[in-house]
Amino acid sequence: MLDQAVFYSLTILTLASALAVVLHRNTVHSSLFLGLSLAGVAGLYASLGADFLFGAQIMVYVSGIAVLVIFVVMLLGRASDLHLRQVNERWMAALLVCFVAAVGLFKVARLQSNIVATGAAHPGTHDIGRLFLGEWLLPFELTSLILLAALLGAVFFTRTENAQ
Amino acid sequence: MTTPEPAAAAPKPVAPKYVPPEPVLNRQNGRLIEDRFSTWPTEVFKKRWSRPGYQRGAGMLVAIFVGLGLTGGLIGELAKRADGFYALLGSFAAAQGLPPLALDAGWIAIKVLIVLHIVLINGLWSIWWERKISAHIQSRVGPTYAGSPKGFNFHGWAQTAIDGIKLLLKEDVTPAAADKWVHALAPGLVIAPCIIAFAPVLFGDGLAAASLDIGTLYIFAFAGISVIGIVMAGWASGNKYSLLGGLRGAAQIVSYELPRGFSVVPILMFAGSLDLQVISNAQAGYWHGIIPRWFIFYPVVGQLAFVIFLISSVAETNRTPFDIPEAESELVSGFHTEYSGMKWSIFFLAEYAYVLLGSFLLATFFLGGGASPINALPFTWIPSWLWMLGKAMLMMFVFLWIRWTLPRFRVDQLMDFTWKFLLPWSFVNIAVAGLYLAYWLK
Repeated sequence: MLDQAVFYSLTILTLASALAVVLHRNTVHSSLFLGLSLAGVAGLYASLGADFLFGAQIMVYVSGIAVLVIFVVMLLGRASDLHLRQVNERWMAALLVCFVAAVGLFKVARLQSNIVATGAAHPGTHDIGRLFLGEWLLPFELTSLILLAALLGAVFFTRTENAQ
Repeated sequence: MTTPEPAAAAPKPVAPKYVPPEPVLNRQNGRLIEDRFSTWPTEVFKKRWSRPGYQRGAGMLVAIFVGLGLTGGLIGELAKRADGFYALLGSFAAAQGLPPLALDAGWIAIKVLIVLHIVLINGLWSIWWERKISAHIQSRVGPTYAGSPKGFNFHGWAQTAIDGIKLLLKEDVTPAAADKWVHALAPGLVIAPCIIAFAPVLFGDGLAAASLDIGTLYIFAFAGISVIGIVMAGWASGNKYSLLGGLRGAAQIVSYELPRGFSVVPILMFAGSLDLQVISNAQAGYWHGIIPRWFIFYPVVGQLAFVIFLISSVAETNRTPFDIPEAESELVSGFHTEYSGMKWSIFFLAEYAYVLLGSFLLATFFLGGGASPINALPFTWIPSWLWMLGKAMLMMFVFLWIRWTLPRFRVDQLMDFTWKFLLPWSFVNIAVAGLYLAYWLK
């Protein structure tokens, strides 16, 4: 009963703020709602008992990526951007694509929807650490290699810009 | 009280000699008291202990601190018997026919209220302490008169409370160019994650509102959200100085979060957990029976991690060597230029709460938590919450000391410092900690 109330209120929060991201005319407000939506997803993780995922979601998405998005919007934004129309004349096609994607996601989600997660938090940090550095070591290291390449690429582009 | 004119009048008029006014003596309730606003304080200080008001003020301050200490001690000692209280509340709830949900909600509300009041009382205490420390560092005396018109004014003990009343009564101004909602929500978004981040903070052995397995990650994650509030405040004020302050704040805090997180990784590797209680317990014991096994005493790695964590904690609170988001000489006062009254003071409440959070984290990660530094009897008897509080207050003094000693960085120096110095050295630190684990600690 309580689990369901928490789940549905978090879902409503996540979906409503996600809708506000795409429907709001003010880009800064949209980016703030993006942070709220990501925080709602973190709340869903917490309500399912995934404590490490909850912490990582807050740290990486809410206080990392959402802040960067807000930063860029504020740095590059002009006053005219604050009253943009969010839809253009091709909104029908966009709606169709969204509908098809939603149906596809729904079909995929139904395959896994019979697995019921327990709400009680059981600490999984040790298991996650062991899996990262044991069974899944190769994908983990490959991901870090990709991040390193991205970092070097960013440094390369800023250096060439400075040289010119 | 004018000097009498000389009897022999000079042939041409001379300008009258300046005579400084003597201290005005007022009579109140039949007693002579100095007019405190026309005398230079040093004269008042010379005979301060003979004034009954000063003695009573000192007594009041001592009483307040003893009272706060006793309350803290009572909570600290009672919290050891928390399970018993929970069972007592449970039997009471069962007798009243209340559902178990109501019992848990009440229990959580008690813990939340205690943690919330730690944050609020910390504001009252640390602002007064900062004003006194800053004053003495600058050869001033700081708050002196606040307390009572009758002279209960021991070292201006009531300064923060009176400032709070003043801020409460100030007009709450929202600029015409401001975005009303974002402007109003920004202070809340700064203070709320800060209070939430206090949930797993360890105030002594087993003294935490919530013992979380991901404690360290949880604190860093929530402490990072406050930057959204700073950016919101800067943007919503509709003022270019505020916007610049908010953007600088975002860049600085996001950059310093990285060395702050990575400097703790050696500690997590040594302790093998993110839980603050486990980290604190991992530092129990003494080498050769003398040197405490605190992480700060682990050769090189411990000291380097401590320094990096301290520097980036100061940077996270936007305090002076790192206060470019609110640099007065460049940006008026940055992201909180357009705030007044309680909204303004909430930014400062959050700043001091982050100082307290950083102090407790330093005490937990590096200074052994609630363990005694001396392995001898009278010191090991002192309860763990008192050691913890003492270490945290020592660290808070270091925070205040740094703020009033060092000049401000330039923006580019600030960014170079974190990306080219702190971050690489924290990576080196992690590598050396790995070598320690492989060859020394096993």
